[in-house]
Amino acid sequence: MIRVRVPKTTALGVGLTGVGLAILLLGAVLGIWRSASPTGDGDPAHRLAAELRCPACQGESVADSRSPIAAAMREAISTRLGRGESPDEVRTYLVQRYGVEVLTMPPARRWGLLLWAVPVLALGAGLLPVLRAGYRSRRAARSASPGRPAGRDDRAGVRGGAAGDVAGQGRRAGSRRHRVFAPPSGSRVWNVGAVAVLALVGAVALATPGPQTPPGPATSPDPVPAQLALARSMEQQGQYEAAAEVYRTVLVERPADDVRLRLAFILIRLGQATEAARLAGEVLAHTPDAPDGLLILGLAQRESDPPAATATLRRFLTRAPDHPAAAEVRRLVDSG
Amino acid sequence: MIARLPPWGPDQITDEGRDGVPRRRPLPRLPGIRRRRLLLALGLGALGVTGAVGMTGTGGTKAPVGSPGTPAPALRGPTLAGEPFDLAELRGRVVLVNVFASWCGPCRDELPMLADAQRRWSERVLRVVGLAVRDSSVAVRDLLDQTGAQDLTVLPDPTGTTAVDWGARGVPETFLVDGHGRIADRVIGPVSAEWLDRRLTPLLDP
Repeated sequence: MIRVRVPKTTALGVGLTGVGLAILLLGAVLGIWRSASPTGDGDPAHRLAAELRCPACQGESVADSRSPIAAAMREAISTRLGRGESPDEVRTYLVQRYGVEVLTMPPARRWGLLLWAVPVLALGAGLLPVLRAGYRSRRAARSASPGRPAGRDDRAGVRGGAAGDVAGQGRRAGSRRHRVFAPPSGSRVWNVGAVAVLALVGAVALATPGPQTPPGPATSPDPVPAQLALARSMEQQGQYEAAAEVYRTVLVERPADDVRLRLAFILIRLGQATEAARLAGEVLAHTPDAPDGLLILGLAQRESDPPAATATLRRFLTRAPDHPAAAEVRRLVDSG
Repeated sequence: MIARLPPWGPDQITDEGRDGVPRRRPLPRLPGIRRRRLLLALGLGALGVTGAVGMTGTGGTKAPVGSPGTPAPALRGPTLAGEPFDLAELRGRVVLVNVFASWCGPCRDELPMLADAQRRWSERVLRVVGLAVRDSSVAVRDLLDQTGAQDLTVLPDPTGTTAVDWGARGVPETFLVDGHGRIADRVIGPVSAEWLDRRLTPLLDP
């Protein structure tokens, strides 16, 4: 970037910069290709291990960790998959032993995705002034010597170096626009880009949910209340997808109606009414007239089957006329 | 007139005034804001109720395998000495299950203490069982010889899958199984002489 502002740049310097940039770019592309290509060439045991957190070590997956307990977990995963268990069954088996913390958390992944944009933006912010200066120098060279053919001009621009030409031509021609505007504009773009990247990193750092305090070590008797509290705090932060994921995990360990209903409610918010209706249906199968079950089912049916929704909500009103939501539901049903 | 309007009234009345006819659609699409507010209100109500149910109902939940109060997972197989072993046959006795390995320093340090505990109480009331995780028989025998723990019952777990069955998080880790086959306590990391005394004495010297 400094090269943009330094007025005199040799052709050798520019060439080296170009080669350097090309090597960096190649490295970046190779790195991205390697990290994005599927690891473990489709081995389901490896894929499952990669999405589990090693309970004995910080920040490593079961697939990557060299700790013996991770090795033992990999062994258990392959044995169980080999026995014909589904990945979900194996996941449940491990969650029953190591708690829901063993699963890598979706919210970190969601926010982490934003971080992938940082190098791209940084590269863009860095390249933009270089490209602009190059473009300007070529244009300046062309306008300064109108007699020369375009092909030679281009070569001269490349060989002579971007910023050197800009400054030289500007000074020689006395062109105010080039001397005053062009080089500072490059640095201004750079400054704005740098500030934007910093702001993005800062925003992501602030918005990323910090390491969730694990619900106590294994000695804690019951992880479910902690998981419910975690899910509720995620709900309050508006992280409905993450909360739904936690409720799903809790549901594996504890298939209780209240958990089902809370998950169903979030699903309605997320627009997944079909699954919400299915969960409410499960609740109603146990307790046919559970008011909350009727309420959620009725809400879930609104999009797909309005008459059924009204019928369900009317049933809800007869069962629970004093429910906190009854007044609003009555208004909704009566307005039809 | 205005004073008698219900809280949602103005919208409703202008709607009907415009339509003129009572609407037949059972559940009309409400304008965005009203729908959102309605959904929010319904949600808060539902959450409040289910939350209350959830808080009162957390008593009968399922604790993770290996945590105190849960039944001990299965533990059976040939011992290092070649004898058959089954934890289920030790009902009525207190069992200490020590997850260890010869390559683990703290395990080496606590083994003499566990061997002492086995000597202090008879095998009829207490069994100290070692689960040798991902280790070779030769290395485990050497370790037992060096620490004076040759008398301990040791089950080899070369793959470590039995340790995972128990929900072990590493080595060393110790589970105290009571006479009913339930986990009474669990220590992640090395045990102390104080812990052994405090947990074993009331169970074994009543």
